[in-house]
Amino acid sequence: MNQVLPSLRWSGRWLLALAGVFFLVGCVKKKEAVVERDNTAEVKAYYAANPNFFRFATPADLPKDLVWENGADLPEIGSPAAKKGGTVYTFLQDYPRTLRHLGPDSNGSFRRWILDDVAVEWAHRHPNQTDVGPKGFHYFSGLASEWAIDKARKTVWVRIERSARWSDGVPITSDDMVFAFFLWRSKYIQAPWYNNFYTTNYAGITRYDSHTFSITLPEDRPDMSARVLELSPQPAHFYKELGDDYVERYQWRVVPTPGAYTILPEDIDKGRSITLTRSKDWWAKDKKNWRYRFNPDKIRFSIIRDTPKSFEAFKKGEIDFFNLSLAEYWYDKLPDSDPLVQSGSVQKSKFYNEFPRPTYGLWLNTSRPLLDNREVRVGIHYATNWPLVIDKFARGDWQRMQTGSDGYGDFSHPTLRSRPFSIEQALESFAKAGFTTRGPDGVLVNAKGDRLSFQLTTGYEALKDVLTILREEALKAGVEFRIEVLDSTTAFKKLQEKQHDISYTAFNVSPEMYPRFWETVHSANAYDNAFLSDGTSGPERKLKTQSNNVTSTAIHALDQKIIAYDRSSSADEMKKLAFEMEEMLFEYAAFSPGQVIPFMRIGSWRWIGYPEDFHVKLGRDFTEWMLFWVDEDKKKETLAARRTGATFPPVIRTYEQHKQKN
Amino acid sequence: MALNPLTVKKLRRFRSIRRGYVSFLVLAGLIVLSLFGELLINSRALAVSYEGRLHFPTYGANLPGTAFGLGYSYETNYRELKKKFEAESSKNWVLLPPFQFNAFENTPYQNVFKPAPPFFMGGPKGHLLGTDTTGRDIFARLFFGFRVAIFFALAFMTLTYVIGISVGCMMGYFGGVFDLIVQRLIEVWSNIPFLYMVIIIFSVIPSTLSISARVAILLLVMVLFSWTSMTYYMRTATYREKARDYTSAAIVIGAGTGRIIFNHILPNTISTVVTFMPFTIVSAITAVTALDFLGFGLPAPTPSMGELLKQGTQTLTTAPWIVSSAFAALVFILTLVTFIGEAVREAFDPKKFTTYE
Repeated sequence: MNQVLPSLRWSGRWLLALAGVFFLVGCVKKKEAVVERDNTAEVKAYYAANPNFFRFATPADLPKDLVWENGADLPEIGSPAAKKGGTVYTFLQDYPRTLRHLGPDSNGSFRRWILDDVAVEWAHRHPNQTDVGPKGFHYFSGLASEWAIDKARKTVWVRIERSARWSDGVPITSDDMVFAFFLWRSKYIQAPWYNNFYTTNYAGITRYDSHTFSITLPEDRPDMSARVLELSPQPAHFYKELGDDYVERYQWRVVPTPGAYTILPEDIDKGRSITLTRSKDWWAKDKKNWRYRFNPDKIRFSIIRDTPKSFEAFKKGEIDFFNLSLAEYWYDKLPDSDPLVQSGSVQKSKFYNEFPRPTYGLWLNTSRPLLDNREVRVGIHYATNWPLVIDKFARGDWQRMQTGSDGYGDFSHPTLRSRPFSIEQALESFAKAGFTTRGPDGVLVNAKGDRLSFQLTTGYEALKDVLTILREEALKAGVEFRIEVLDSTTAFKKLQEKQHDISYTAFNVSPEMYPRFWETVHSANAYDNAFLSDGTSGPERKLKTQSNNVTSTAIHALDQKIIAYDRSSSADEMKKLAFEMEEMLFEYAAFSPGQVIPFMRIGSWRWIGYPEDFHVKLGRDFTEWMLFWVDEDKKKETLAARRTGATFPPVIRTYEQHKQKN
Repeated sequence: MALNPLTVKKLRRFRSIRRGYVSFLVLAGLIVLSLFGELLINSRALAVSYEGRLHFPTYGANLPGTAFGLGYSYETNYRELKKKFEAESSKNWVLLPPFQFNAFENTPYQNVFKPAPPFFMGGPKGHLLGTDTTGRDIFARLFFGFRVAIFFALAFMTLTYVIGISVGCMMGYFGGVFDLIVQRLIEVWSNIPFLYMVIIIFSVIPSTLSISARVAILLLVMVLFSWTSMTYYMRTATYREKARDYTSAAIVIGAGTGRIIFNHILPNTISTVVTFMPFTIVSAITAVTALDFLGFGLPAPTPSMGELLKQGTQTLTTAPWIVSSAFAALVFILTLVTFIGEAVREAFDPKKFTTYE
């Protein structure tokens, strides 16, 4: 005791001293934050240091034989009936953690509102004409006035629209695209995925003049045009202060965008609301395929964490539209017989879409004890009663997902089927793993006394009932799921840190030509030093965090196939590889495919307008592609009618033009 | 055990306050009943006679279907077993408890998982108060939720009082520098926001812990942040009692500190403690319900009134029976406890028996 006390006293002093140091450091840091910085020289030096990648040429160097195209003959998107103006009210469950486009926390649910759905790329894949043509997908022009593709030279040339401006008025030039590669490859942004992707997937960029550039790829992949045309330039002038403190310095700065919407500083009310405002003189406002979209003047997001609460807000008219995809909402909470629907105030729309499906299912973290055993994983697959969930929870509206890459057309495995629910087969697999006896609570135990019990985490509060159903069913097969429902951001963080046993989650996949494997199953995203050069398991494996390989899958043979797949230029070879990889992943059994939701179901107030055919084929949810508009006159009319009790004809529609026939 | 005649008098007085006494009997009855809850509300049978052998599945390990000649190795569905035996009209029989659903099983209603109304509102038979959003029996969840909450509250009260009374009495008895320092410590301690601590602690405890361990941690955290309020009452009460002659007499006789505090002073301040008890129970039940409501309480799928309340508010329009059952049950229990509290306060009121000048 006597010996402990003085040391305690000492540690107390140390703590005080430490606190003092921190305080001082804090002061110093604060001062540093106001220091101006200009990285022009650093960027130039970087270009000079990589002369093979960054090439500077003159317009005279442009090949003469290029065939320029601009996709102008593709059908127009959106409805000419769209009205401009007004404010649309909607909600977010969590306040965005950052307004950065890159780096930690930037991949949250708000990203689409500042990047994916509103940013303009060089060209965009046509969302209704989705077939694969001889040159790949069909593109309509965005920031590019025209482009040329040359498969033999593995290069895409782009001419930039002269009128294109950043939202702060600065013209968009080739330099912004050249700079983008500096940015994406930079260590400052703390985004290893970007660092790797933009280093390995691109061979070089050539600047011809301020509005012409070309990008060369290492291989002429089947989706070569997508690799270039779906890029977006980055505002070089905005990132002048890029440095080690990027994450903090740019945390709440609004990134200039080529898109229609930006955020005014006064509209950031942290924790409460955030508003998008349409640029008054948007450069693309009269451009084909852009003119009937991005219609409301303002889009205002309030923060409502609770789904039922946001639904009540919707029913009161404080929120303009609501996702009714859950059966509970579509059938029980807002049935067709609801007065709101019958009076025509709220319209119900069910739209069948077609795109690569989000990967809903159980992601088993194979770096965890017991889950590293394949037989246990296979057992869990058989013990997971998805059919019951689809039948009794989703009332038969959902479909079972078969592989982790469904919805890619010819690139999806044609015959592979997910494992059915089968108690016998589950028990058989568990027995192979040594779990043969049931404990007093019915949970299987092995000879060492380990229970077959796993934490099952989800960030989908609205889908938590799925987990209680799965839990009760899995108990029959002798495996226990301990349910943990977290808020979406925390759950995602836990997943990225690989702290989960099993996670019920989904990755949103963009409508690409073929599925990606590197992100979710390559060993480089599971462990540092996963394998020795001879393919045996590395002795100094270290779990890799902040990556999307949330199953910690590391298979040496699979890695080889992924690399071959990612380098292949033949679609047929890629299909073959994709099928082989899907089969390997099926054998490995780390992902238990869950459900496919083949439609979107939306309830919207009468004043929200949408095109005749409701949406585009690739439309994943109501706001994507920004086709909707708000009709302020109808809003007044509807609100007045609510007071007087007047009604309108009810609108309940199903749009099946893109429904897949089974 | 010979009781102090004064205490006997107080107890007699408590019995004479009808409302409080009846409430006490009802609550005590409920608690005792809840101890044997598995015999009343359970999907497991009370007794099964199969091929001449008797089984009592209620307590202990679960019996797989194979034990009764069924083709599955998971726990027997006794309701179906009963039907099977009756259909076979064999000598085998199943004795089911009065309420035949446990708090965890999902039973579909109209072939899908959605809340079923209580039987008197046209719902399926067997579900006294209907089912919740995944088809779990509300009555069973309320009953076992009550058991968890009341024992949690009792444990919470015992622990906070042991700590609060000891520290408070010490502060009052020693006074001076000790009192001063402990007061400041308590002031600092009670300024730590409780809810944040719960959130932080629950984010760092490993998920591998069993449910009972998590409940124990929750209890501990709540106790850690709740014992302080009791100290102030005990401190003042002890200060007052310390100045009285009987305390001085005890000191003169040479009684030790512990003896004086716990044998002389405490019995004379007990009325303060006793009157607080029911209110502590009420606040503990409310706290655990509120924490469940916020998602930081008892881990899912532990039956809990807070979780039911939450579900209820989410399905206010489509399944009003969820929120009304949970609300009615909570109000009923809290009213019982409050009535008991009132009666106790009146019965133990020191002014009734002693006069000080």
